[in-house]
Amino acid sequence: MLGSILASGLAAGAIYALVGVTYNTMFSTSRVMSFTSGQLAMLGGVFGSMFMLKLGLPVIAGFVLTLVGCAIIGIITEFVAVRPVLKNLDQHLYVLSTLALALMIQQVAAIKWGTEPQPFPKLIGWGSGVWDEKFWLPVVACAATVIGLEYLYRRTLVGRAFLAIAEDNFAARALGLPERNLRIASYALAGVIGGIAGFSGGELLLAFFANGALLNFYGFVPVAIGGLGNNRGAIIGGIALGLFQQAANFLVGGIFSSVAVFTLFIVVLLAAPRGLFGSATARRV
Amino acid sequence: MHTSVPEPLLAVAALQSGYGKIRVLHGIDFQVEAGEVVALLGPNGAGKSTMLRALSGLLPVDAGYVRFGGRDITNISPREAARAGLVHVIEGHRVFTQISVTDNLLLAGYDLSRGERTARIEEALSFFPEIAAKRHEYGGALSGGQQQMLTVAQGLVRRPRLLMLDEPSAGLSPVLVDRVLDVIRQLRKQGTAVLLVEQLLEKALATADRVYGLVQGHIVLEAPTSESDLPRRLEQAYFGHQALTP
Amino acid sequence: MTSVTVTPPRSEPSAFRAVLPQLVPFLCVFAVAMILPFVSNDYWALIGTRAAIYWVLVSGLNLVVGFAGHLAIGYVALLTLGAYTTSVLVAGNVMPAVPVFAALPIAAVVGAVFGVVVGLPALRLRTFYFAMSTLGFATIVTQIALAWQSVTGGGIGIAGPEFPAPFNTAWGYYYLCIGLAAVSTWISANIAHSRFGRALVALRDAEVAAEATGISKPRMLIAIFLLAGALAAIAGGLFASLQTYITPDAFTFDLSVLFFIAILIGGRGSILGPLLGTIILTILPELAAPLAAWSTFLYAVLLLVIVLVIPGGIAALLDFRNRRPLPSNRAILPRPAALGDIVRKRAGGKTLSLRGIALSFGNVRAIDGLDLDVAPGRIHGLIGPNGSGKTTTLNVISGYYAAKGGTMTLGDDALPPGMPALRAARGIARTFQTPRVIGEASVLQNVMIGGTIEGEASFVEALLSLPRHHRDERMLAAKARGLLGVVGLETLADVRADRLQHSELRFIEIARALMLDPDFLLLDEPAAGLSADEIDRLAALIKAICARGTGVLLVEHHADLIFAICDQITVLNLGRILAAGTAAEIRSHKEVVSAYLGA
Repeated sequence: MLGSILASGLAAGAIYALVGVTYNTMFSTSRVMSFTSGQLAMLGGVFGSMFMLKLGLPVIAGFVLTLVGCAIIGIITEFVAVRPVLKNLDQHLYVLSTLALALMIQQVAAIKWGTEPQPFPKLIGWGSGVWDEKFWLPVVACAATVIGLEYLYRRTLVGRAFLAIAEDNFAARALGLPERNLRIASYALAGVIGGIAGFSGGELLLAFFANGALLNFYGFVPVAIGGLGNNRGAIIGGIALGLFQQAANFLVGGIFSSVAVFTLFIVVLLAAPRGLFGSATARRV
Repeated sequence: MHTSVPEPLLAVAALQSGYGKIRVLHGIDFQVEAGEVVALLGPNGAGKSTMLRALSGLLPVDAGYVRFGGRDITNISPREAARAGLVHVIEGHRVFTQISVTDNLLLAGYDLSRGERTARIEEALSFFPEIAAKRHEYGGALSGGQQQMLTVAQGLVRRPRLLMLDEPSAGLSPVLVDRVLDVIRQLRKQGTAVLLVEQLLEKALATADRVYGLVQGHIVLEAPTSESDLPRRLEQAYFGHQALTP
Repeated sequence: MTSVTVTPPRSEPSAFRAVLPQLVPFLCVFAVAMILPFVSNDYWALIGTRAAIYWVLVSGLNLVVGFAGHLAIGYVALLTLGAYTTSVLVAGNVMPAVPVFAALPIAAVVGAVFGVVVGLPALRLRTFYFAMSTLGFATIVTQIALAWQSVTGGGIGIAGPEFPAPFNTAWGYYYLCIGLAAVSTWISANIAHSRFGRALVALRDAEVAAEATGISKPRMLIAIFLLAGALAAIAGGLFASLQTYITPDAFTFDLSVLFFIAILIGGRGSILGPLLGTIILTILPELAAPLAAWSTFLYAVLLLVIVLVIPGGIAALLDFRNRRPLPSNRAILPRPAALGDIVRKRAGGKTLSLRGIALSFGNVRAIDGLDLDVAPGRIHGLIGPNGSGKTTTLNVISGYYAAKGGTMTLGDDALPPGMPALRAARGIARTFQTPRVIGEASVLQNVMIGGTIEGEASFVEALLSLPRHHRDERMLAAKARGLLGVVGLETLADVRADRLQHSELRFIEIARALMLDPDFLLLDEPAAGLSADEIDRLAALIKAICARGTGVLLVEHHADLIFAICDQITVLNLGRILAAGTAAEIRSHKEVVSAYLGA
């Protein structure tokens, strides 16, 4: 049983962590938490299944097209739901605009794709049991994404520009950085990360429209635990959440595992509203 | 005395700007000639930083115009302003703490080609040997004074025609203040114009060619620093007994 | 409007005439609802009943979302809870069966309790976080309903409660639900138009200012979550009966979306708007079959359009009064002489004293050993360069920051550090550097906020519109109008505050602060952004306030204003006192001049 808990916990945790990183990537350049994060991961599964099973494309082509599709949805998020409300960030209109867009994505998926979970193809075919690819694939994808992001942020000028905007948007603008283009780029990047989450987790979660809302919540929990914009916190929080949830699932049953996750979420938020790895609170007056 | 010059480097007329409903600048007329060092003085809350922000596109201009190098740049983006050679170093030594000194400077040259960028960084660092020695450290590891030098160096990467410095001496020790002011003098020798917002009156008068006094969003004084009773006239303007017009 | 004390209470007929224009649309909706049975069929009875039930929930949720501004997007959970509680109690599969009219109130109590449980995170979490926590709650309620088979019947479900005659026919039940919807409307309107409703909006749009006027956020929110939870659970019971049989599938997240969006389409801070929103969203999917399948998509599109194009919703579209242009040449003409009729004269005696106050942010010493005395009936100026600790000092006095060292006393009593919401009761009022005014409320309502703690009627009295509540309202409105006269803005009393100029907002803040008859008034840069004429009038007003016995602490950059009116001046630099004394002493003080000029 321990093997099952570890395998499914790590797999689910990796997916939650990636959705958390999706939230953070959008947040870093815009200070906006977007309800489309979970939907992007849902679309990763749906697009993957559509391209490979429905249209019969090879895995590589399906993967690339899925990421392109998700990146486009990410960019649409920036144009439709984020840019128009950035002027009055303190009114928190982004909660409503991104919720609206998320609901639209979900509804279109439900109607055009169907309301039943649909299968996701086997990608490689290595391993079985607890070593089945549906368990290790999300973990590998998560690790690859972390390495990729680390390279981006530490080795490329664009990545450092992302860091600069995340730290001090005003100073970055004053320096003449193309803030708007970088924001669009970060939303495209977020789309790609969300797509990777959904694609790599496709065999575990299937291609199912309702995954969006679920991943919105389970992907947000690590962000809440780790602190907004803190990718390391999101990864640790995501993996911990996945293991906690699967352990509760195996030990006390599915229903109580979601109650436990919810309680954990509320308790952490009330005890540390900025997250366990978060920074100090801003001044109010 | 400026009538012989066809058009100044920076010409501002009837400029109004502010934050939302709050109008801070009530019609500013202002000029900077090429290669000139101008100090903008005024009490707290007079609108000095607001003015710099409106010039560099960080704040919208509500009325009036800004011309730079013979071109209308009213309400252009900070990026465009920097490309045109109008570079704004904001107050409060806001360097990026999570990336290295070199990276901070690389970002200042974001639009440049790779080779050009490296060359410009070396050029900017040559003004500040003390931070050149710390180029691999994080921005956050520098002292406040070093961070201030780094922001000025960031401005220099652009090879500005007009460098606007907002309180570069704030929080610096006297020695460091002189270091920054030395750099300004060096820049003038090279023909770079500088617009300096400064709290330290003596230092500002010693560095600048000309001063403007800004009080409550109005220019109340304009004079060359060679005039004799400037401190007294500024004091009167600040404490608001009679608004002295130039 | 000469005096508050001698103004006779406005007679009931005239008060009624004043609210009649607001009442008409509600009466029209009600009239249409009443005649619907005579012009249509049972199909419309079903839709009408559904709309009425939804409105019972939305009327309560509206206070949470539209007034308090908390984005509770998972309220279907409380509908589910109410539906199962009522059904289980009536079915008697856990304990002896209970008649439905007893089960409904019990469900309301359960709903109220869970309303608070779901709502409590809102005390600490804002916006996205709170939205997520309600969303999470909605998910687990459905999962529990599925899993707890012995009680809820799991996926198979349970029969909804049946109502006795005459409510067991389609139209009989319709009228019952319409009746309850009407009662909900009345209750929520009573709260919305009471000092509690205004306090909710104040907490939403100007939380810091609301605290300074003594409004307790936890108490307000708990009251509102109790009410919204109870109404949602009653709606759940009615919904279960309408469905005749309920399974967890009946409570999709789409319902939550409908409730939430109905309010936003209707407009924040309105009751008519969300009512129309609820009716429209209930009917919309019935108009055409494709609309039914795409209903959530449609709602989402509507939401996006509302947010991006008309953030005020239907209510803003219907707000004709605030589209009339304001006179552009208006001037603020305070009448300080009228103060005597409105503000209690202070006996004086107590002095506000700060001794050795110290406060650091990180390793920056914002205030370092500050001594300060504000005497009653005196104006004390606090000046200094940026970052010298002026506003920080005000924030320590009004309790937003707790000083790390030193003592504050008011007369002989210690003033506890922190706890900003308790300052108003101690007679300390303040204004803010950036005016913190509720843009969406009228100028009069903004000023009335200042007197929230003066009201006597309880939440329940306000809910049921009992006499004491009316007395409060009349008292607050009359006093607020009087004070608007004092600051010279009475002609703008009914205008939305966000249409005013910046300088006018500064005077509104002063009027709001005066609602408390304060012993001490803390003014944070009241002259910033004012014209020279306005500064002169402000000076006269501050002097008049002070002459009534109020001690004034004035933080200001305008040196001329400070020197003109202050009895005492303290100059701060880098958190320390640089100089203290009279205006003449300070003016000739060498170090002060150099701190300002940097020479």
